[in-house]
Amino acid sequence: MMTLIRRELLDNLMTFRFAVAVFIIFLLVVANTAVLIKDHERRLAGHKTEVQKSRNYMSEGKTYSVIELHVDRPPNPLSIFNTGLDKRLGNEIWVYYGHIPTLWDAEKHSSQNPFMNILSSIDIVFIFQGVLSLLALIFAYDTLAGEYERGTLRLVLTHSVSRGHILLAKYISAMVCLLVPTLMSLILALILLTTSPSFSLSMQDFLRIGGIMVASIAYLSVFYLIGMLISSMTRRTSTALMLSMFVWGFLVLVYPNMIVAVIQPSNPPEERKASAHNHIKQIWEAFERERKHYLTTDTHLEGDPYGNLPWRDGYNFEHFQDKVSVLQYYYHAGAEIDGFREARESQVLHVQDYHRFLVPLIIDAAEHTWRVRKPVLEELFVLPATIDKIWLRLSPTGIYDIATQALAGTDLNGIQDFFTAVQQYRQSVIDYYYDKKVFASREWFSFDKAAVDWRTLPQFSFQRSDISINVKRALPDLFLLLMINIVLFIGIFLVFVRREV
Amino acid sequence: MWHIAKREIYDNLNSLRFALTTVLLLALMVTNAVKHLREHPKRVQRYQDAVTESLNHLTDRADDSLYTLAQYGPGNFYKKPSPLHFCANGGESLLPDAVEVGEPPVFMTDAEGNRLLEGIWSLSYPDANLHNKNVGPKVSQVDWAFIIGYILSLIALWFTFDAFSGEREHGTLRLMLANSIPRHTVLIGKFFGALLSISIPFALAVLVNLLLISTANTVHLTTEAWGRLGIIFCLALLYTSLFVALGLLVSARVQQSAVSLMILLLTWVTLVVFMPSTLASIASSFSPATSFEEFWKQRHPIKEDLWEIYREGRSSKSEDRRLRAKSEFYTKNAERDERKHEERLKYRSAQVHRARAITGISPATLLQHLMEGFAGTGFERHLQFVENTQRYTRQLREFVADTDRADPESLHILGVREGMSEKPISPEAVPRFEDTLNLSKDFNTAAMELLLLTLFVLVLLSGAYLAFVRVEV
Repeated sequence: MMTLIRRELLDNLMTFRFAVAVFIIFLLVVANTAVLIKDHERRLAGHKTEVQKSRNYMSEGKTYSVIELHVDRPPNPLSIFNTGLDKRLGNEIWVYYGHIPTLWDAEKHSSQNPFMNILSSIDIVFIFQGVLSLLALIFAYDTLAGEYERGTLRLVLTHSVSRGHILLAKYISAMVCLLVPTLMSLILALILLTTSPSFSLSMQDFLRIGGIMVASIAYLSVFYLIGMLISSMTRRTSTALMLSMFVWGFLVLVYPNMIVAVIQPSNPPEERKASAHNHIKQIWEAFERERKHYLTTDTHLEGDPYGNLPWRDGYNFEHFQDKVSVLQYYYHAGAEIDGFREARESQVLHVQDYHRFLVPLIIDAAEHTWRVRKPVLEELFVLPATIDKIWLRLSPTGIYDIATQALAGTDLNGIQDFFTAVQQYRQSVIDYYYDKKVFASREWFSFDKAAVDWRTLPQFSFQRSDISINVKRALPDLFLLLMINIVLFIGIFLVFVRREV
Repeated sequence: MWHIAKREIYDNLNSLRFALTTVLLLALMVTNAVKHLREHPKRVQRYQDAVTESLNHLTDRADDSLYTLAQYGPGNFYKKPSPLHFCANGGESLLPDAVEVGEPPVFMTDAEGNRLLEGIWSLSYPDANLHNKNVGPKVSQVDWAFIIGYILSLIALWFTFDAFSGEREHGTLRLMLANSIPRHTVLIGKFFGALLSISIPFALAVLVNLLLISTANTVHLTTEAWGRLGIIFCLALLYTSLFVALGLLVSARVQQSAVSLMILLLTWVTLVVFMPSTLASIASSFSPATSFEEFWKQRHPIKEDLWEIYREGRSSKSEDRRLRAKSEFYTKNAERDERKHEERLKYRSAQVHRARAITGISPATLLQHLMEGFAGTGFERHLQFVENTQRYTRQLREFVADTDRADPESLHILGVREGMSEKPISPEAVPRFEDTLNLSKDFNTAAMELLLLTLFVLVLLSGAYLAFVRVEV
């Protein structure tokens, strides 16, 4: 057994293709890592300016009601392994007490040029997807067909070696040969990452990268086994090569792109959207009626909370935000008033009462809206994506992509984690408002007595999910890759054992 | 020479790769056609609904009065979807599909909410398509650009990797060259043989695709569109011949066909798959992370001077002077807003142009750009649409000024209610916006890239010639 492995190993190592494999993987991975690190630094700088900008913006706000809290999503450092949705989705979100923020409300912050998105982007997993599979097939296509052609297969089999052993030896040695450049390039990429000052990778990140390595090895092995299967079924190397290339083109290039184009979303989402939008609108119309009712019953306000206040300077606004495409509908109001004329203090108290009544009503309506909106958003956006992913899993390339995205935390779940944190942040801000009875305070709409002290407001913080969660999300796909490996190996064994030499 | 080409074609027609290629291309092209037929009517419907809505705005405003039209402007402008969307998607889903006409800004209200100072409309350019909230997996669109750029180039290598090395292995190359055929004839014969045998399945697939698309009564292709399709087909052949030449070059130099295929595949992966993305990443790192707002602030530090004009005019005694000051304030403000939006667009598109120029080194990106150019999609088309809206805006403003001049009761002070004609105008008289495409203009913008692609082909062909002439058989 060991002799077999050694023979195969030497056979592979001395070839031209091994040299080319090492060269190509090194070149691509190292060059792209350097570029990607630069790109990440740029995104990080953009994130930092945005955070700074939002701090300045906060310090300019003088009343509670005009301020929307600004939260910026930091770029994920592991996105250089698999970008996933990290760059594509919005990274700037405004937290307003009257609206529950979701991924679909987020926008791109202005430090980025959104036109740049039309250029294609790259990550390390993308390189591996294309190159590793290609190299695996190049190593595999002549393992059996080549020996058969040269007649050495018959020679080997005249000895008392079982066919299973031959297969295993070939598999192990070729995998070792392929792993050398793969792992070396990954390690080089890691060295580049750790020396770059903008990356601070934690222990967990290294474990995640380890997971990505495992997935890459499983992916490599799948393609090697596919090549071997083809090689064991054909008699001539040229046919094997031709078929291998066809299979590669189909699995890596054609299938993943074609399948997403072919499948059609099952139910017409537009109608669902329209009915949900109507429902949400009704919620807010009910709210508006209640608001109007309150204003007319309170004789001091006469239909307009600020109408009777003789204010010196400042502004107020109110409107209904309406964006049908993402079912965004809410009431938005605020005021920043600087000083009233004398002898109107009783009026001001009435306005305070109005807000004490109104703001909890807004929050209630927002919760109510969320109960309608959430399932529809899932149906409109998440469900089609899930169906696409199920179909993509028919190609190992798709499985590999999904698994590494889950490990890197750049998949939909990873991004949703961030927005869940934003929603929790909104809740904690509201709790803080309730605690300090901010709604009923004068600072809610006016800063003539005192400006708001923003320092005691809860701060937003976000930790990426724990590695155990990432692994749990990636495990089904990793198992799928392993299973394909085992099935392919059994298939090759069955074909090879029955084959005449 | 034709003899050799014919021999090659017969050789290829019977091979496994020919059958596989035909099946693959047919499957892709049918997918493309089906997808287009499914989505294009929806796109056109969306466009028409939007256009009708903004036309209604225009009619309402014109019916109201000339002043309303001057203040609120026309409705938003929408980009007309290209009928050749199936040829090149061009990242349309990421680009904005409209130029917006901003609501007049309100500068001042009194306590009852009456608008005291209200400006006039201005154009603004949205950055990105905000309707695109898709969270699905990232895949390339199966359009012609993908089929030609990725699949057809791969097929070209697939057909040529053993052109010389295979014959050398079989020993037939020596036999052929023993006849009195000059080597360049052999090379050219091989070249055309391969090119033609790839064109056969490709042309077949294209015909099936076009048959499906043109027989459906939901999509109409005009004569110009057919002309563009013809150009795109020629582009496909040019691009394929680039890879055929590359295949011949490597095949002539390398002894074994397996090695030749390996080298070709790795070159292909680098040229077609990685170079566009890597170059794009490099190019985008040239554009710094500073936002446009800072850029603008550096160039235009003062903003208060406009209010000065207004305040000076307000204190004036004569009614005419006051109105004129107001009018100047409004128009200047709108102009300034517009200029800011325009500069922002220019700033950002300059970044994209730089990046596109860098990625143009890769033939795959060149093809992508050319296809976009001729299909009427993509970034250049977007800029052309923006230019169309700007031209129309000038036209409309001139129309408003002219109509106002024709009204003897008006004071001819634009942008102010008291100073302008209050008569309704017939909506038919107002010029309409039309988003047009110009083939000769597209040709001009594409000329450089077209020449570059041709240059690549010629260089590779002469390389193949030199390699083959010197090689020992």
